[in-house]
Amino acid sequence: MVLNLKILPQSSFGFPGYRGLQEFVIIPFYNYESNQSNYFGIKDWGISLQYGAEFARTTLSVAPDDLTTDNSELDLNTSLYLLSIAKRLGNHSLSARYTPGYQKEFIFKTGESIIINDTTTQSLQANYNYKELFGLGYSYNFNEQFNAGLTMRFFSQDFNREIVKPVFGDTLYLVREAINEKISTGSIDIGLDYILNKQLQFRIASINLLNFEDQLTNTEFQGIELNLNRGALLTASYFPLELLNFHLLYETTNSFQAGVTGHTKGFIYGLTAFHDYYQEPFIAGVLPAVGYRTDLFEILLSAVKYFSDRYTNASYSKFFDEGINNIINNSYSFDKIVLSMAVNISGKPEKKVELIDIEITREIYPSFYDLYIDQPIAYGNVVNISGKPVTVIPSVKIEGVTDDQIQSPPQTIAPGDTVVVPFFVIIPDKYANEKTFLSYADFFISVTPLQPDAQLQKATLINSINSWDGNVANLRYFIKKDMEFSMNYSKNILSRNKSFLDTIPSPLLPFHKAQIIFNEFAKLIVYVSDPRATAEYVQFPKQTLDLKGGDCDDLSVLYSSLLESVGVQTALVDYKGDGEIRHVNVLVNTGLNPEQARLITTNDKKYFIRKDESGKDQVWIPVETTSLSNFNEAWNIGVEKFNREAIENLGLAKSKIEIIDVY
Amino acid sequence: MFNKMKFSLSARLAAKPGTARAGYIGKTLLIFMLAVPALIAQEFKAADVKGDVKYQAGTSEVWSEVKEGMSLQPDYFISTGEKSFVQIKYREQSLSIDELSAIHLASIKTMSTDELLLALAMEDMINAPVNDGKNRSSSTAVYGDKKGKENNLVNKSDDFGIKRLNGAVQLAGNGFKESSVVFAKETYRKYPDSKQIPLFRIFFADILYEKGLYEEALGEYLDSAKLDLNIEEKSNVESQIQRINKILLNN
Repeated sequence: MVLNLKILPQSSFGFPGYRGLQEFVIIPFYNYESNQSNYFGIKDWGISLQYGAEFARTTLSVAPDDLTTDNSELDLNTSLYLLSIAKRLGNHSLSARYTPGYQKEFIFKTGESIIINDTTTQSLQANYNYKELFGLGYSYNFNEQFNAGLTMRFFSQDFNREIVKPVFGDTLYLVREAINEKISTGSIDIGLDYILNKQLQFRIASINLLNFEDQLTNTEFQGIELNLNRGALLTASYFPLELLNFHLLYETTNSFQAGVTGHTKGFIYGLTAFHDYYQEPFIAGVLPAVGYRTDLFEILLSAVKYFSDRYTNASYSKFFDEGINNIINNSYSFDKIVLSMAVNISGKPEKKVELIDIEITREIYPSFYDLYIDQPIAYGNVVNISGKPVTVIPSVKIEGVTDDQIQSPPQTIAPGDTVVVPFFVIIPDKYANEKTFLSYADFFISVTPLQPDAQLQKATLINSINSWDGNVANLRYFIKKDMEFSMNYSKNILSRNKSFLDTIPSPLLPFHKAQIIFNEFAKLIVYVSDPRATAEYVQFPKQTLDLKGGDCDDLSVLYSSLLESVGVQTALVDYKGDGEIRHVNVLVNTGLNPEQARLITTNDKKYFIRKDESGKDQVWIPVETTSLSNFNEAWNIGVEKFNREAIENLGLAKSKIEIIDVY
Repeated sequence: MFNKMKFSLSARLAAKPGTARAGYIGKTLLIFMLAVPALIAQEFKAADVKGDVKYQAGTSEVWSEVKEGMSLQPDYFISTGEKSFVQIKYREQSLSIDELSAIHLASIKTMSTDELLLALAMEDMINAPVNDGKNRSSSTAVYGDKKGKENNLVNKSDDFGIKRLNGAVQLAGNGFKESSVVFAKETYRKYPDSKQIPLFRIFFADILYEKGLYEEALGEYLDSAKLDLNIEEKSNVESQIQRINKILLNN
């Protein structure tokens, strides 16, 4: 019987005639023949349709004596070849296809005949029908260089044969009877894509890696079922120019394809020549293709042209000697024209920008909640890979810190340009994590608000809520954080002194508020040299009052916060020192003008004059917050230090001392 | 009282703009690198005291009488009354403080021109930054209900500003010209009325000019020109302004 029939449905021959690993091409999602890794470029949903016409008879009749028994005229048979759907979910891609036109039916004359009434001879026939029913594909995009996936394909094989069956009775009868059997077959293949760069890309894939099939029960049909031999497929694509791309595809069955493709202004073309181990001549045929694509759809007209005469008639024995190697491409296939159409349903734009890398420029101190509105936490290099200027919206989300993506100002990038994009962030008010931890920041670049075009993740250190970077200017965040608490605390103190304050002329109120508040909290607090033993830890005002102690940073923050909360302006004095421990204390704006200074002191060394933002002279006094005996003592000590280091030794002019306004 | 102000005209040195500027420019770097704050960290002594002479120590609110032979600390402020004076001795030198004058003893120190420039620059550093005020605390809690009633509350000094300027002139007369300018500038800030006296403004502007600090001197002369000047002062100020403008243009 039949011993060497080869039907290899998994070879790489496909109808589109245009190939490419380029992500922007939609076509590959339905072309499982050469895309075992299911790698495609749509961003959301895609559907496609393939409609073809074959210049041949729909059936082929083969006789054992090389005589044609079917003399019907060659005609044009059209049918729907394929319907498919695809979906992209982030890095995951799914696809499914239904292939009603991927089938080949053979009608054989078995060589047996029956003579009816001694006059009429009827030949017995066999009918073998091979169909690919449907397929499923999945892939995962690991990064910009690697993509791996698998495709599953399901086949149906329907075998029918007429036989002559003897019926024994009084007389021996021969009865013509049909036997049939239908089996299902499937195979799974995997593929791996390696995109070295935009010019050179590779794919390796299996052929019939895993197979499953029903067992034939009827011995009459054994040996003619689909033969799922294992093999491999290697593809290399080179893209030196938009208009000229080269593709080479090799199968371990010693078949290969070589093609050129290109695209410009939406128009695409392809020309592939294929060598088929099972067909003659050496170059068995070509697949020319032309088409047009936009972001929304792709339309492609391709053809298959064989260089050998097609067998409309063939011998039964030749069929069994040579077999066929593919359902849609074999010695009995005919020239075709195929129209392929694919639609990108979501209309999502193709990727227009790339985020090349991210440089984290600073640690995150959550207390500095609005600092990072002006000072970016990171910079990213963004390149415009589209042909038009694009406006990108950078955004960042930090795990465990921000609930949503925080957007930075948009930037416009010229085609082909790379720009440095800053990423800003706002720390939520409610953030209160007292521990430092390593988190991850996701950086996004979006051209449209709906979907990021590019993203990168970077590790970033998130300090505790009490962490401080040592910059005295940033103590203002600790001053402002507990402002409501400070206001209640200060008002409570002032209320208890209402009778005294009622006797004070209004210009002197800020000074006396500063005096009363200091004397009240000084009773409760002790100076502790850095209670947490780290210079980078600063307490919020409430914490200092709860703990009843703090160092110079904590006490300056507390005093400043209490005064600012009731409208008394303050500033911090940063004594930077020369390799020594830095020190901070507080300046208080009495609100008095120079002529009124003698209302609070007869010693003009105990104050100095600052112009306010409107140019008006005001009397300010330094207060040493670590001197907790009483206000006058703290004022005197503050004055001595300030006059000596800031004024007489020119510390302010030499930048050894800095005055930092809280607001 | 300005009519009782006394200062030595000998302190007003003749200006030598060309040489002063050239020397300043040529030696700026060297001076800047080598200059050491030359505070004379010495103990002062009241060698000769006549009349009402008082001192105020450190941050004290009290003025006490200076007695002959008593030692004085650098953080003392010395103030003389009418028809009074005191001779201060330090190291091998002495400095007389005439009547109606006030001097902070820490100001008796030599300063380089660069240090003077730094001290003048400090004025801007002390000032609050200019902003739109939007970030100020919204709290305006006031206790005592006196707001607005006594905003013009002023307790005038007993012309201490003029005393300080008299003291500054005497500092200059004793060779401490740079520190005299710093002392005068501080006085202007703490006692704004003292800025309105043309003679003092012109005197200290002349020192800045003499030291080759033309831009700083020009600012002082321009401010002085807005004051109520007599004919001689006006002529002097205008000629100095023209001279400096010419120098600045040529540079």
